[in-house]
Amino acid sequence: MKLTDIIITANHNLFRSKTRTILTIIAIFIGSFTIILSNAINSGVNDFIDKQIESAGGDGYLEIMPTAVTENAVMALSGNGAVEYKETGNAPSEQPYITNEQIEKVRAIDGVESFDVLHTTTVDYITSNKIDKKYKLFNLNLVPRGNVNLDVTAGRKPDSESTNLEIALTEDLTKTLGFENAEAAIGETVTLAIPNTIDCYTAATHSECQRQVTATVVGVQAPGVMASGGPRANLALFEKVHELASDGMSQETKSQAYQATAQVDPARVDEIKAKLKDIGLTAMTIDDQVGMIRTFFDAILVVFNIFGGIALLAAAIGIINTLFMSVQERTREIGLEKALGMSSGKIFLSFSTEAILLGFWGSVLGIALSMLIGFGLNALAHATFLADLPTFNIVVFNPINMLIIALIIMLIAFIAGTAPAIRAAKKDPINSLRYE
Amino acid sequence: MPNTVIEAKNLTKTYGKKSAAFTALKNINLKIYEGESVAIVGKSGSGKSTLMHLLALLDRPTKGEIYVDGKNASNLKNNDLNKLRNERFGFVFQQFFMNANNTVLENVLLPLKIAKISRKERKKQAEAALKIVDLESKMKNKAVDLSGGQKQRVCIARAVVNNPQIIFADEPTGNLDSATGDKITDLLFELNKKQGVTLIVVTHDEDLAKLCNRIVRISDGKIISDQTVRKDYQKQASRKRETEAARVRNANEKKGGKK
Ligand SMILES: Nc1ncnc2c1ncn2[C@@H]1O[C@H](COP(=O)(O)OP(=O)(O)OP(=O)(O)O)[C@@H](O)[C@H]1O
Ligand SMILES: [Mg+2]
Repeated sequence: MKLTDIIITANHNLFRSKTRTILTIIAIFIGSFTIILSNAINSGVNDFIDKQIESAGGDGYLEIMPTAVTENAVMALSGNGAVEYKETGNAPSEQPYITNEQIEKVRAIDGVESFDVLHTTTVDYITSNKIDKKYKLFNLNLVPRGNVNLDVTAGRKPDSESTNLEIALTEDLTKTLGFENAEAAIGETVTLAIPNTIDCYTAATHSECQRQVTATVVGVQAPGVMASGGPRANLALFEKVHELASDGMSQETKSQAYQATAQVDPARVDEIKAKLKDIGLTAMTIDDQVGMIRTFFDAILVVFNIFGGIALLAAAIGIINTLFMSVQERTREIGLEKALGMSSGKIFLSFSTEAILLGFWGSVLGIALSMLIGFGLNALAHATFLADLPTFNIVVFNPINMLIIALIIMLIAFIAGTAPAIRAAKKDPINSLRYE
Repeated sequence: MPNTVIEAKNLTKTYGKKSAAFTALKNINLKIYEGESVAIVGKSGSGKSTLMHLLALLDRPTKGEIYVDGKNASNLKNNDLNKLRNERFGFVFQQFFMNANNTVLENVLLPLKIAKISRKERKKQAEAALKIVDLESKMKNKAVDLSGGQKQRVCIARAVVNNPQIIFADEPTGNLDSATGDKITDLLFELNKKQGVTLIVVTHDEDLAKLCNRIVRISDGKIISDQTVRKDYQKQASRKRETEAARVRNANEKKGGKK
């Protein structure tokens, strides 16, 4: 028999006992569906993370904190009991803020291209000349320097090398501040109110101790993870805000900072991170920060894959069972085919093909339904919580992955089918023809 | 003298082992010539089917040898045995064995499908075979829906579809009324006479046996008589040999070329 004839005949034979075959296919489908959909969701999440990292650019961009701060946080979270206090003098690792000594050391490291200390900034409100209302601003962040991209729908990324006071708004804020659209906001100014720490100790009302600064809108950020950080200032504006807030403080207090960012040679990130650790600073790349999310989703994927695997194992037993029944039922037919000159090898092949076809249909069904549900989920997500992120799909289907999963399932089906197929191949034509 | 197509030498077949052992055939010697029609006659349980299965290479003897065209079949590889049966033998079994849920056409073309003959060609040949048994109109019907006589005719069509040299028929009229039985008989003897096909018919029906040119009687696994009634087959055989056998061989070569 030709291979095409074997496949066509096997498929025809399968659907002779429809109920049994369909039930077996459903069992395989449960496994394939679980594995395909959970892998597609995982790809979606990873894709999203990758896109964000990519859109952030950020090769060699580090966020830096004193190690003491991160350790304290870990200690507090893990509840690791009491730690004995030891007098360590002014050891840098014990400092909760970044010292001048540390700053100098960092700047001296080979491969560090820029290093910006982030002083804590508080902004009371933001407003523009288009509106009377003032809006609270919870967060003013620095635009990362160097090759970190800022996705803008209009204008450009604020220039950290410039001495002009520049700001990039978010799309939401652009509307709130009375600008018609993103384009219209470019070149306009916004006003920030900053409370001066010293003055506000003594002032009767907050407005008395506020200082104002006017910044030029140079860009509007596209929705995305970066935009969730709120409006972003260039270094000049950021320093200005800090200066207004700390005016009147001692030089030492003024310069205290708890965070810093650095742009380093991307090829030497690991080496520099190690050096920073020696200085008493912990650095994280954008990758490190999202790594935790990735690990979480990978763990979920493993759980789903195990579940799918167990379903497939049960399905494999179903395949063995259904094929043994079919060999039994078709004993005479096998005898006839052998009498008419079909070889044992071909008999084996035709039953194996039935097994593989069971796997094939189970996979096809799994792929079809998971794609249907996947696209449904994507549409639902875009209509609701992902409305701001039109480019992101929570379910991403990778054809090669799906093909590999289908092939593995067909291989499992083939292996399950070998025992019944061998039994069929071994049948003796005369005895089989006698079989009632 | 016509060619010997099948020769059995000292054939013994024992079923089962030890205390359950039963010797169904004892030391059978038999030569079958090209173009003959041989009836194997005997009581139920005498070993007729067993002998036919051995001659048709469907089963292996416990002792003795079978020669096909002078070649010892026990030296043949499984694949060659399969090919031999597939291309040169035609079978009509005691109970009509058909795949009940397949169409009549599918059933008839099964030997050709096994022989890897193309879809178009095998359909053509199967239709021709169905025409011989006058069942073209039932081609698309499911085998299960046919009457007993029609089923047996389908089996004849399947037996001749590959243009066999030898047809083995085990009680081809056994389950049929006499009118239908006669029709089947006519079909078989027409093939024998017109196309020189060697016919080996197992039967307990003396009337059917008398139509054959040779009657082999067996009892308790032994040949008790072997008479050649007529020799006219020899003329037919030699006449047909040049034309039909050449055609069959050509067809077989064509099939072989397709593999
Ligand atoms: N597989 C087997 N195992 C054991 N005994 C068998 C087997 N096949 C046949 N026999 C025995 O061999 C003997 C011959 O059987 P066979 O089928 O050849 O008889 P038969 O002459 O064709 O009879 P019938 O006319 O009833 O078909 C019987 O006694 C039968 O019981
Ligand atoms: Mg019999």
